[in-house]
Amino acid sequence: MDPADIEVRNATYRRFVELGRAPTAGEIAEATGATAEDVAAAWHRLHDAHALVLDEHGEIRMANPFSAVPTAFRVEAGGRSWFANCAWDAFGIGAALHVDCRIESSCADCGEPITIDVRDGTPDDTNLLFHVLVPAVSWWQDIGFT
Amino acid sequence: MLLFRSEDHLDRWLSSRAKGATIPVTKLAELALAWWHDRLDPSWRPHTREQNQAILDRIGLTGPFWNLG
Repeated sequence: MDPADIEVRNATYRRFVELGRAPTAGEIAEATGATAEDVAAAWHRLHDAHALVLDEHGEIRMANPFSAVPTAFRVEAGGRSWFANCAWDAFGIGAALHVDCRIESSCADCGEPITIDVRDGTPDDTNLLFHVLVPAVSWWQDIGFT
Repeated sequence: MLLFRSEDHLDRWLSSRAKGATIPVTKLAELALAWWHDRLDPSWRPHTREQNQAILDRIGLTGPFWNLG
């Protein structure tokens, strides 16, 4: 992976954390000194390398574990909040930030709210189960469904 | 990649679906820490497939379902 693309990728993640939402190509251009066109081109290469996920308009859809759109997995940490792409990513946000966090979600069967406090990487509710429907070899065939 | 309150809830949800893999949320937390901990590091580099497979192996997630290919 090209070092310049990694710089764009890292700036995208930093701004995502700071803003609590996906940054625009213009915002990353401002942060890196590149042009918005260069950022958009780098994003496409990063998308092809599975380093982030773009939507059909070329905007950030996922900077895993962060989601650019509201989901059933909301994570709060340090007075800020983000959406995660799935339950795995919900735990990933606290792991990536190296902080304790609270995950708000719901049981996929009954819809009852689930709140999990994660301290030092350990969830306070140990009875919950995590299910993966798609085998690992197929995760990137349709990452949105996975 | 979803959460369930119990095995009963999971079984009900799976009644019309093919079952994948289920792990306790404690193991999920362990997996997430190993998988995502470096995601915001300034020195981040992409994980290779071998590195990711090694994380799954280390957590005990082995067998065909967890094979990244």
